[in-house]
Order: sequence, then C-alpha cells, then structure tokens
Amino acid sequence: MALAFILSPLLVIGAGALLLMLAEAFGPKHNRTAGLALGCTIVFGAGFAFSVGAWLYGVEDVAEKELIVPWLVIDRFSIFFDGLLCLGGAIAALLAGGYLREHEMERGEFYSLLLFSTVGAMMVASAGDALIVFLGLETMSLGAYALTAFRRTSPRSAEGALKYFLLGSFAAALLLYGFALLYGATGHTDLAGIGEAVRAGGPHKTMIIVALVLVLTGLVFKVSAVPFHMWAPDAYEGAPTPATTYMAAVVKAGAFAMLLRVMLTCFTEKGLMSWSAGWPPVLAWIAVLTMTVANLVAGQQESVKRMLAYSSIAHAGYLLVGVVAAARSMPEATSSVLFYLLTYTVSTAGAFGALILCGRKGAEAVTYEDLAGIGRRHPAAALAFSLFLVSLAGIPPTAGFFGKWFVFRAAMDSGFYLLTIIAFVNSVIGAYYYLRVLVFMYMREPAAGAPVATPMKSGYVAAALILSAVLVLILGIVPSQSLDVAIKAASIFGPPGG
Amino acid sequence: MIPVEHYVALSAILFTIGGVGFLVRRNVIVALMSIEVMLNAVNVALVAFNRLPTHNNAHTGQVFAFFIIAVAAASVAVGLAIVLSLFRIRRTVRSDEADLLKN
Repeated sequence: MALAFILSPLLVIGAGALLLMLAEAFGPKHNRTAGLALGCTIVFGAGFAFSVGAWLYGVEDVAEKELIVPWLVIDRFSIFFDGLLCLGGAIAALLAGGYLREHEMERGEFYSLLLFSTVGAMMVASAGDALIVFLGLETMSLGAYALTAFRRTSPRSAEGALKYFLLGSFAAALLLYGFALLYGATGHTDLAGIGEAVRAGGPHKTMIIVALVLVLTGLVFKVSAVPFHMWAPDAYEGAPTPATTYMAAVVKAGAFAMLLRVMLTCFTEKGLMSWSAGWPPVLAWIAVLTMTVANLVAGQQESVKRMLAYSSIAHAGYLLVGVVAAARSMPEATSSVLFYLLTYTVSTAGAFGALILCGRKGAEAVTYEDLAGIGRRHPAAALAFSLFLVSLAGIPPTAGFFGKWFVFRAAMDSGFYLLTIIAFVNSVIGAYYYLRVLVFMYMREPAAGAPVATPMKSGYVAAALILSAVLVLILGIVPSQSLDVAIKAASIFGPPGG
Repeated sequence: MIPVEHYVALSAILFTIGGVGFLVRRNVIVALMSIEVMLNAVNVALVAFNRLPTHNNAHTGQVFAFFIIAVAAASVAVGLAIVLSLFRIRRTVRSDEADLLKN
C-alpha cells in the first residue's frame, strides 16, 4: 500500500492519460474536446497533490520500495521532480486549453500526449537502471515530437518536428551505445551497480571513458547545450506555443533530472570527477559556450518566440554551471540546480503564456514589432509579460533572482570563480534582450498600417498566468521554504567520491 | 566459437556507418535508416557482451536488446508520420530543403 502511495504521482498521471483518451473517444459528438483541457489540468493537479502527499509522508521508511529497485528508485529527488514536472505540465495544459481553441486546432490527443510524455519524464527522474532511463526518455521524447508536429497544416511545425526528431533520435542512439559499452565494461545496467564497478576500477578503463563521452554527448544533446543545440530553436519556434512551453519547462527539467542522476551516480570515480582528467571541465566548457553563444544569438532575434527559445538554451548553460559545481560539492550545488529548475520552470512557462495571451487567431504575436504599444492598449497582458521577463533576467524581487543567486553562490563555494564571473557577465548580457521586449511594449507605438496583435480572452490562459505569477513572486520573496525542499531532495547524493 | 571482441568490433563498425550516414546524407528516409543501423549496432553490442563469462549469464543484455527493438519500432512510426506530414506540405523528403526556420 505504501508502495502504491509513493508511486502515486506516476500512477495518477498514467491512469489520467488513459482516461482522457477514453473521454475523448466517447465524449459528446458535437463537441468532443469539451472539458478535456480542464480534465488534463486536474490530472496534473492531482499528480502534484500526490507528490506533495508522498513528500510529506516521507519515502525513507517505506520498506516496500526495495521491491522495485533497481528499476525505479523512489527517493526525495524523484518525488521533487514528480511535483515539478506536474506543475509545468499543469501550466502547459491550461495554456493549451486557451491556445488550441483560439487557433481552432483543438484535438483531444494533445492532452493525452502531454500526460503520456510527462509519465516518461517522471520515469526518467526516478530511473535507477539504464533500461528505464532509455524507456522514459523515449516515452518523453516521442510525445514531445508529436506535440511539436501538432499543427498539421503548418510547414514550420512539420519542419521543427523533423529536426527535433532526427537529432533527438541520434542523441538517444549515442546515449544507448554508451550504456551498452558500460554494460560490457562493468556487467551492470543498473546505475548504482555501474557506479560501484566504475569506482572499483578494472581492466576496462578505455571502454569506460569512451562510454562516458558517448553518454555525456547524448545527455547534453537532450538539455540542448551548445554545440548540440541546433534543433532547439527550430523545434521551439515551429511547435504550437503550448507545446513549446511544455518542451521548455517539462522536457528540459526531465533532461536535467536524467543528467544529474546518470552523471552523479555512474561517474563518481575520483579520476573521472577530477578537474584534470574528468568530465567536469568538459561540462564547464560546454556551459561557457552555451551561455555565451545563446545570449549573443538571442540578442539578434526578431521573433520573440525564437528569442525565448535561445533564452531557454542560455538557462541550460546557467544550470550546467550548477551541475559542474555539483561535481565538487555534491548535495549543496545539486540543490541549487533543483531550485533553479523550479524558478526557471514557472518563469519560462509564464513568459510563453504571456506571449500566447498577446496574440489572437490570424494575428499571433511573434516579432518585437507585434508587441509595440501593447503596454498602453492592454496593460494586464503587458504587466504579466514584464514580470516573467524580469524573472528570466534574474532581477529581484522575482524567482529568477534567487535561482541565479543560489547557483552562482554554489559555484563560488566550490571554487569556480572564473566560471561564476562568466556566468554573471552572461546574465547581464541576457538582460538586454529581455528588457528590449519591455521597451517595445511600453515605449514604442506600432508603425502605421502594421498588423497589430490584439490579446485574446481566455480563462484558461489567465489562470495559467495567475498561477505562474503567484509562484514567481512567492519564490522571489520567500524562497527559504522551497529551498529547504530542494536541499532535502538533493541530499540523496552523498559527498563526492563516496 | 567466435570471440566476443569480433562482435564488438562489428558493432563499432556498424555504429560508425550509421553515424556517418546520418551526418552526411540529406535524405530524411536515409537518415532514419542510419539511426536504425546505429540502434542495431547497440543491439549487437549488448547481445555480445551478454556472453562474457564475467556477466553471470543473466541475459540482461538480451532483454535490453528486445526493449530497444520495440522502442525503435515505435519511434520509427512517429518519425515516418512526421516525414509524411512534411512531404504533404512541402513535397520533399530532403532535410536541406526544409529551411523555413532560420535565425
């Protein structure tokens, strides 16, 4: 019974996805999609509530959880991600409820796909075996590919999905070959067993290093870090905006859960963790490249949606700084990564939501010009957008400030001064293109005769924005409680080398 | 009996062929096939490693390979659907002609 309870977030979302499919098939003939968005949000809400319940109940004393080890490892880390993924999914579902109806492409499978894909992300977050990592990853990604291609009449949607699919499958193949080599070298497919065998050393040193390269490449592909980011802007721009929200929030959080879980369980041998011959310096270079390239390119974009896509790549760079720090001071830096993911999820979901709110069928807000003067014409939409952009830029009193604060502090505490300075300079550069949106919204008037985006009216989108705005402000003003949760979630990773 | 190293060498060659094919060819169908070759290289490696005497004869590698076959089939179904939907709109299956999205 206790086992069912600590697995409940996963079970609720899985069962909800199946029920939602049935509800659409047997729903009223004249309006098949009625209430599906609400139902999907409720399922995500239930998943979130069950995660909170499981968190409060505690998973340490549940003896039955050994029954599913090593396939699924249910600990504070996975429960934290269950809650986070459900939260991101709920916001995406609410946005979809408004957006799909407005743009007349509401079909029920969108909501089922959201839920199934989230099941995959939750599997990844609690995976204790390479096989489950792979299954969860593919469940998550296949849903995301289909969501990207959801607008069937749009060539951009198909093209974005194609690039996402091809590079995503390529990355999965690299990751798998890495796992196969690890299996050959250690005789284990469970992550803890691999880690133990790698720490014990053995005759297969070269094979393990080749495997490490392959696994790391596959993982940074999935978190869309430079130089493996080519798919991300195209997929984000081509996808319908709620699907973009979902990818930027949930799929990215799932990918980071996978990165943390695999790297901090499998490759914790002293030599592999060292600064001279291990993976941390490689990841540090990738983080520097990711932040710098993404911020410079984001500043040149004309499309706000594409700018937000590059911004999400830049945020992956800041998160990687935290992961690098985690190699030296594991629980502390990991907790800062988890907290950053929380603040980033609500901010970026809110920003995409505000972009949805600013557009209407046939007059979607895409470029900076489209947003000109919206601050005067529609103050509420502009205010919401400003709040989320300020949070993404990392300006107090919003969530993004504390997210960056804790990651940078963790990097400083671990002795990565140069890396922290580069990250800080980058976050200043990043503020430029976020504030540019504000300039257009409040200080520019649309050119005469230009198509002007008018905000849509939708209770769903409004609810999503209010939810994320409240969370952005709470996390930005009283972050201590959620930080405690993140610290507790990260405490499952012992000190390095242990 | 053929030693395990030969199988692993075969799988490495297959994986390289698939990887190079994916990166070089511009036809999406060929790219999909290249990914399949890469996944099959993984399968060969897993099944070969399974025979190592140090691996306890637990059949983990073989079971893993079955899962990869099943998931690869599902993934190709989604991939071909995406290719089909692109072909319907753009009348092309070449990835260099899908160039609407740019900086």
